[in-house]
Amino acid sequence: MPEPDEHELGPQLADAFQSKAHTVQGLRDRGLAREARRRVHKRRQTLIAGSAAVVVAVAIGGVWSAIGGPSPVATSSSDSGSSAERGTSGADSKSAPGEPATTVGCPAQHPILTADGQEAAPSGLGIDLDTQVYGLEACRYGLVDSQQVLLGSATFNATTAQQVVDAIEVLPERNPSLPVFKCTPETARPKEAIVLRFDTATGIREVWVKYDGCASAGFVTGSRTYGLYAAPLKLFMKGGVRPVGGTYLDHLQGW
Amino acid sequence: MAAAEAPDTQSSAIDFELWVTEKADALLRFAYVLTGDHQLAEDAVQDALTTACARWGRVSQADDPEAYVKRMVVNAHISWWRRFRRREAPAAEPTRTAAAAPDGTASRADAEAVWALCATLPDKQRAAVVLRFYEELSYAEIAQLLHCAEATARSHVHRALAVLKDTLSKEGAEDA
Repeated sequence: MPEPDEHELGPQLADAFQSKAHTVQGLRDRGLAREARRRVHKRRQTLIAGSAAVVVAVAIGGVWSAIGGPSPVATSSSDSGSSAERGTSGADSKSAPGEPATTVGCPAQHPILTADGQEAAPSGLGIDLDTQVYGLEACRYGLVDSQQVLLGSATFNATTAQQVVDAIEVLPERNPSLPVFKCTPETARPKEAIVLRFDTATGIREVWVKYDGCASAGFVTGSRTYGLYAAPLKLFMKGGVRPVGGTYLDHLQGW
Repeated sequence: MAAAEAPDTQSSAIDFELWVTEKADALLRFAYVLTGDHQLAEDAVQDALTTACARWGRVSQADDPEAYVKRMVVNAHISWWRRFRRREAPAAEPTRTAAAAPDGTASRADAEAVWALCATLPDKQRAAVVLRFYEELSYAEIAQLLHCAEATARSHVHRALAVLKDTLSKEGAEDA
């Protein structure tokens, strides 16, 4: 039911609106349908282009996921494909004794520094050698009590990293050509060791390389131990990661 | 399949073209009353027709396609982004811009005055008033169009009327 104000002003408003609506001039009433169709066509084209872009992006993402994980290219950008050559000349080597804990890739404080005994192995971080790798950081640590520091490091690209994995994977549990030592616990502890930190789809995974002391030698993944052979060693023992020698290295040729 | 759809599409386009030719004038006049501005009216109608064109199959099947498209015009006009573009700033104090005229032209002068006052109303109040007194819709229909409760639609109209009445009575007293 109309209220008092409506009774009073309603007719005035209706009259004003009708009057204006019927006297208005100059409204453009031509071409509205054509312009509407043009806009709809343009919107659809934009929508199709947008959808196509999304489909392509999703497809690329899917393929990327299927291939598996981070980009080898991106990873290698920080180490370069010629790291082997640079390693040979020592250019890839970064770090020195006493370097602060800012070294990228190789932590200054690593569990291997405090690990003890011949069964020392990466705990929970060992690599499954069937895993695809996208890069490698080799970290050489001094393990002598008075000098538990990072001695040197080197970065390798995905190709070299995969070559290292492939070279380790085929090795037997031990190298029978290496001598077996009998020594006291004090002398059994190695003076140094190398940690191979592989970049994988699930993060950093490690192999510990033992070549000194007299308790054990080889590549330790945590679930398995592979014998110490020269083939993998010569791929990453370059620059600052190349030791002068070691109990077992001294009996090994070609590294 | 494409060959089978082509005649339908063409027929639909012709149907839409004919409908627009027939209704454009009414839509534009309605939009002009709603917006109070030539350019805004044309923009609102063009946007509504673009939406209608994209959904012409559904719009043409509606009970009253004209009412359907008018709803689109209202929605286009009161949409937040369109108001943002216009930077709507209603006048704080509505003022009567048309002077009182001698008898014979009083009716026209009053219409001008009411029209000018309506221009000072906020968009939703103006839309509610236009829908109520130009389109003669019920409050329930206005509420549906403005996406609000019926009480809110009623409130929009009554607030607008109160402002108009107050301003007109003040101006009338001054004229006297």
